[in-house]
Amino acid sequence: MSDRNTPLRVFWAEFRENKMAVFALIVVVVMMFLALFASVVSPHDPYDLASLSLLDSRRPPGFVGTGGYTHILGTDPQGRDLLSAILYGLRISIQIGLAAGFVSLTIGTSLGILAAYVGGRVEALIMRLVDLQLSFPAILLALVIVALLGQGKAQLIGALVAAQYAYFARTAYGAAKAERGKDYIEAAVATPLPTRLVVLRHLLPNCMPPLIVVATVQIANSISLEATLSFLGLGLPVTEPSLGMLISNGFPYMMSGRYWISVYPGIALIILIVSINVVGDQIRDQLNPRLRK
Amino acid sequence: MSEPVLEVQGLSTHFFTRQGEIPAVRDVSFSLQPGEVLGLVGESGSGKSVTGFSLLGLVDAPGRIVAGSVKLDGQELVGLAEPELRALRGRDISMIFQDPIATLNPMLSIGDQMRMALLAHEKRSLQEANKKCVDLLRRVGITEPEAGLRAYPHEYSGGMRQRVAIAIALLHNPSVIIADEPTTALDVSIQAQILNEMRELVRETGTALIWISHDLAVVASLADRIAVMYRGEIIETGPTFDVLRAPKQEYTANLLAALPANTEPGQLLAQGGVVRSVLNVPEMPAPPENDHFLSVSGANRVFFPSISLGEKIAGLMGAGSGRRSTHAVKNVTLRVARGETLGLVGESGSGKSTLGRLMAGILAPTSGQVLLDDAPVMQEGKKATLRIQTIFQDPFASLNPRMKVGRAVSEGALAHNLLSPSEASAYVKSWFEKVGLEPEWAERYPHQFSGGQRQRVAIARALAMQPEVLICDEPVASLDVSIQAQIINLFLELQRSLGLTMVFISHDLSVVRHVSDRVAVMYLGEIVELGPAEEIYKAPKHDYTMRLLNAVPVLDLKVD
Repeated sequence: MSDRNTPLRVFWAEFRENKMAVFALIVVVVMMFLALFASVVSPHDPYDLASLSLLDSRRPPGFVGTGGYTHILGTDPQGRDLLSAILYGLRISIQIGLAAGFVSLTIGTSLGILAAYVGGRVEALIMRLVDLQLSFPAILLALVIVALLGQGKAQLIGALVAAQYAYFARTAYGAAKAERGKDYIEAAVATPLPTRLVVLRHLLPNCMPPLIVVATVQIANSISLEATLSFLGLGLPVTEPSLGMLISNGFPYMMSGRYWISVYPGIALIILIVSINVVGDQIRDQLNPRLRK
Repeated sequence: MSEPVLEVQGLSTHFFTRQGEIPAVRDVSFSLQPGEVLGLVGESGSGKSVTGFSLLGLVDAPGRIVAGSVKLDGQELVGLAEPELRALRGRDISMIFQDPIATLNPMLSIGDQMRMALLAHEKRSLQEANKKCVDLLRRVGITEPEAGLRAYPHEYSGGMRQRVAIAIALLHNPSVIIADEPTTALDVSIQAQILNEMRELVRETGTALIWISHDLAVVASLADRIAVMYRGEIIETGPTFDVLRAPKQEYTANLLAALPANTEPGQLLAQGGVVRSVLNVPEMPAPPENDHFLSVSGANRVFFPSISLGEKIAGLMGAGSGRRSTHAVKNVTLRVARGETLGLVGESGSGKSTLGRLMAGILAPTSGQVLLDDAPVMQEGKKATLRIQTIFQDPFASLNPRMKVGRAVSEGALAHNLLSPSEASAYVKSWFEKVGLEPEWAERYPHQFSGGQRQRVAIARALAMQPEVLICDEPVASLDVSIQAQIINLFLELQRSLGLTMVFISHDLSVVRHVSDRVAVMYLGEIVELGPAEEIYKAPKHDYTMRLLNAVPVLDLKVD
């Protein structure tokens, strides 16, 4: 085997074989870039109140507004360019999804590995708490927490983390419990290495594959959960419209034929979530030794 | 000579993988007379198992038979459609697999599985079927076969399960049975029983048998003819005695010479292939001082079952969980002198690994003490010394797959400040050289190494801690014989040059005899015999030691 056959390279070579997943990955990357540079790529600044005109509100796609600009996807009830609003909304949705995903990954993994490594009462306490929470619908928990904490980005991320860390804890616990019994951990303990090194250098890296899979799925879940909360009016304040809120804004006009206000943000949301899930599925298939060719 | 039952001509099976086409079996030809036993020998990766699977048409994608013919009683099997092959399998040609645990369905009783196999090819009433099954179970040596029909696989030990698998293979009186390493997973004494029974069964039934194994001694005790496979080809074939007495190929000769039983104890083993000469070996080890360097006194280790909350409640309500504690090590007292190699032998479940873990400071004794220079090896549940290091059995499991091997070697020394970070790279390189690895391999991951190389990495990792005692738990059990010989030689050389004290745990008596000064025999958690290696082998005192020694198939090449 040549030295250049690093695990990552092999992984990418296998990933490339699934055209669908490569396409989905490109979509995810493009959407992330669009979201990141929303202020540069979007034709309008939806936050610039001075440039908005109520005369332009709820106009269909292709309408040429008072500013002389063609609104490709139409405008929303405030007269904002819908394409720009979607790009800005995407930015907020992805921001929240990633933040919530990574915070719950960190908290959940720490708890799961702690439970598996220490065992005994600590294990019982943590895992029963996790079980309790997994038996409770995530959306209900998030609703309660948002209702208690009030609106705002940090509060919303907090609610999403509280609803989702349990999945990571379960996964990390299962993986760590299985790895804990293996010889290389025993070899590290027998050296003896300090516990901190055994956990960080030996146990954690080997628990990562399933956690990466859960992380991709949970980021997609956070985004859709955030959209759900925003749609219900419990998410972000109106000043920071995420995709869910855009959908909600257009909802009253659906029946009057002004479909675009809800439908286009909805399509953007669906494309994003489906793409993340396709990528996640491919990663899962590749990391699952049972499905390997 | 009568018509051969099985005739294989130019059989080639290739695997089509990402890395390209791999010829696993190349142009293999042999024939088999009724009632003949052919031993197919080779190291792992030699293509012996794939040959077996090819005969049955059981090669899975990405593998495919690309050329050749297999004739069973004159009927061509290569190219036969799956339904027709299925009609033959089990009836005219059947297979016994290595792992008796995986072969039997845990959800079905043994009777169910046997009846299904029987009725797949024959119409019989339930009563007749049962009668036949009971009959066969009795013939393969299962006591109380009637009860056996109702038993589930988990109620049987590995040896018993393999007997059931043999009974299933014999159900239809097939003309050929292919046995793929059927005794590799079993203890020596059980292996001996099964070999005896197979000899009887082949004689009684006239079935031809292909016995696939990596173990020359096992094959020699059973086979009429031997075929040696190397890299997908049969490189040598002939009557067993001729092949063993006067091997024509160098590879076969090397395979024979690599067996520890064929070399004087303490001498380096002959090894096939290329090995770098590693160290300047001093003439003789310093005579062991008669101190008690590492001592175990009255050590016990009991494993208590972990009881869940549910079981506790069940227990309180009067329903016993039925799980009992295991007394793995019973009142063991043992002294190991400085510079000595103590061999620890026993079958699986004898407690030898647990005792090794007590001495290595991985497990704490339930009672009793393990002392190194009068200081306890473990304190407050943690290992308290760096002077004892451990080598584990399976080098595939004992190295962290996500850590570069160089880092694995230096990590422990760095963590304990035996080494400054700037010296680490040179330090790792020097150890790599000492164990016979290329120094630049330090940047590789474990999966880029073969089993033997990984075990060298594991040895370097242990030695990098500059230990005085090395506990080796079956360090060569998972390696091929020629690699095994290299690793044993490495141990012998390192021990002499570094003056190590070793505890060498193994189920393989010939390996232990080869490396050890003294041998302790363990049985059911106790040490039943302890003495100089030669004495134990020449004049065993305990019943169990005798049984263990008699059970080992030995290649006796000194006949004239």
